Amino acid sequence: MAESVGVKEVKVIEGVTCPFCGVTCDDLVVHVENGKIKEVKNACVLGKDTFMHHLEGWATPRIQGKPATIDQCIDAAAEILAKAKYPLIYGLDSTELQAQRKSIELADLIGANIDHTSSVCHAPSLQAVQTVGISSCTVGEVKNRADLVIFWGCNPAEAHPRHPSRYSVTAKGLFTPKGKKDRMVIHVDVRPTPTARMADAFIQIKPNSDYEIFSALRALLKGHELDQAEVGGVAIDEWKTLLEKMKSSKFGILYWGMGLTMTRGKYLNIVALLTLTQELNRFTKFQAAPMRGHGNVVGMAQVLTWQTGFPFAVNMSRGYPRFNPGEYSVADLLAHGEVDAALILAADAIGNFPAKMAEHLRSIPMIAVDPKESETTKVATVVIPTAQAGIAAGGMAYRMDHIPLVMKKVVDSPYPSDREVLERIIAKVVAMKNGGNGAPVRAGGARG
Amino acid sequence: MPPVILRVKEAPTGVPLEAESISPDLFADRSREEIEALPVALGNESHRLGDFFQVEGERSDQIEVDGSIPRVKWVGSGMTRGRVVIHGDVGMHAGSYMRGGEILIEGNAADFLGVEMEAGLIRVRGNAGHRAGAAYRGSKFGMRGGIILIEGDVGHEVGAYMRRGLVVIKGNAEDFLGARMAAGTICLFGRAGLRTGGGMQKGMIVCMHPVELLPTFAYDCIYAPIFLRILFKGLKRLGVQPTPQQANGLYRRYHGDLAEIGKGEILIPA
Ligand code: SF4
Repeated sequence: MAESVGVKEVKVIEGVTCPFCGVTCDDLVVHVENGKIKEVKNACVLGKDTFMHHLEGWATPRIQGKPATIDQCIDAAAEILAKAKYPLIYGLDSTELQAQRKSIELADLIGANIDHTSSVCHAPSLQAVQTVGISSCTVGEVKNRADLVIFWGCNPAEAHPRHPSRYSVTAKGLFTPKGKKDRMVIHVDVRPTPTARMADAFIQIKPNSDYEIFSALRALLKGHELDQAEVGGVAIDEWKTLLEKMKSSKFGILYWGMGLTMTRGKYLNIVALLTLTQELNRFTKFQAAPMRGHGNVVGMAQVLTWQTGFPFAVNMSRGYPRFNPGEYSVADLLAHGEVDAALILAADAIGNFPAKMAEHLRSIPMIAVDPKESETTKVATVVIPTAQAGIAAGGMAYRMDHIPLVMKKVVDSPYPSDREVLERIIAKVVAMKNGGNGAPVRAGGARG
Repeated sequence: MPPVILRVKEAPTGVPLEAESISPDLFADRSREEIEALPVALGNESHRLGDFFQVEGERSDQIEVDGSIPRVKWVGSGMTRGRVVIHGDVGMHAGSYMRGGEILIEGNAADFLGVEMEAGLIRVRGNAGHRAGAAYRGSKFGMRGGIILIEGDVGHEVGAYMRRGLVVIKGNAEDFLGARMAAGTICLFGRAGLRTGGGMQKGMIVCMHPVELLPTFAYDCIYAPIFLRILFKGLKRLGVQPTPQQANGLYRRYHGDLAEIGKGEILIPA
């Protein structure tokens, strides 16, 4: 791992991993001069901006809006959390694995609810996989083998700029030596997006008709004839043509996005999609995979599953992990007004949540741990700035296809890393009380 | 046997109270002091039932809660006998895993009412939330037996993953009523949301109003199902009175979900 760079020198760091989106490109080259990032090569605009603007909008340590030292902030945070009866730990996706792991230790220690930003984007995907399983593969297999790529309810051209060139559209691989010419790319969405321009075919469907379409495709695949002439605003014959393309492909993949997970039907949309792709395996090799948004969203689900058995919406208030989306998920905890304190790490909860949920967050003691100022840090009781993971702090991240990659530290930060902040809060909470709020604390703290 | 009456001292408003100890099985052989000492959890804190309720009476499998407890969860969960009456609203998970006895909720029930129940009767005078009679995440089957009768409206995915038993809803339902159900019966007197019976394998959903069906349900015939007359006779005993038209009339039968094995039935008055 590249260590921090000395001042008054120019350093070129190769093989840097981009922390911005789920593609997690690990081929960036970063030029650092006098401890400042001067140039970023190979990255897309989004990735480049993340590095170039990382000095802008830094948060400052504050308690109740007044400047404080990091130590004071950590003490104040520990005090809030140790007293809370039903705290929430949320955010966590834009950081690295060890910080994520520490957040779970903290949740265990204080008997908290722990949930991450996936909960409001791809949690339905996780639930669907739990319900029916998934036939999936890595992006490497897509690059080398896929001759049919379907983007459904996602827009990689804008949200995952290098996914098409690195893996799914123009990428050349072992069995796809001609790149785009060896692949058929189909885009399905409720409106044309820039992704449609790189696709060989675009199918425009009616909003909120995905569940009906997947169900119909599954019935057609089973050999049933349907009474309807069209489903989702598209003629049955067109769906039959799509099915034929799917069945006759050598290696197909269906990528889905938030157009499916966050619309009416939610996880049941994905259940229908996953069963369709599984059933296609009677004819050919067919996979499905979610297009995950932020840098390390997959990581948090991985670590949480490894530590507690569940990927999100976990509650530790009774001393053991429980899982129940609809009850322990961030949206429901806030909408029901159940939590009495919150620690938000690397997420702008106030800025992104609907008014009612943000309202409850504003009414309770809230700790914001974040490298940058946001709507959340503006109203937080305690603000603890940190070194941005993947730029000013190293660690590990999972790519969207569950491959772990090393994130490098390319510059120094005056602030501690997310992990260090969490470690110090944990130490403080353990010192302050030993299970004084009824949360079970084993000797030597919680499990690591 | 005079009931044990729980008078609400201090109803929790924010942090939920988990009180699976409010169960006839636990009250039946306990003195008043012992009932007061039963454990409950306020968030991550342990408390005594007596901290939140004033207990009157003892050693009874009849429980009455005198007031609304919308933030009290798991009431009557796993109970096997007796009766719980709540004179008001109740929080999540009421009657989940229930194996016998009866729960009467005079107000509204929150989400996860009677989830994975095996036997017994739950009646709600008001509305119920999402996933009543359904399965907890990760479970293969929802309700396995017993009856849930809701006089008001319900949320989405009610009766999802159902394996056996009966759900009767006098009001309206939201989306995915009986989704992925494996067997059992749902009788809806109000209006249904979208995707009723989505992914159902077997089982029956009776909808008294026209429903927008998924493309994967196929029309079969119009007939007068004898089974319904027997069902309605049973419902009369629970105070549900179908109109003569509903009780004796003709129904259109659809089967599906063809995306699955397609042996479920949806009946709609012709
Ligand atoms: S595609 Fe994503 S991971 Fe790659 S450089 Fe762009 S923002 Fe970073």
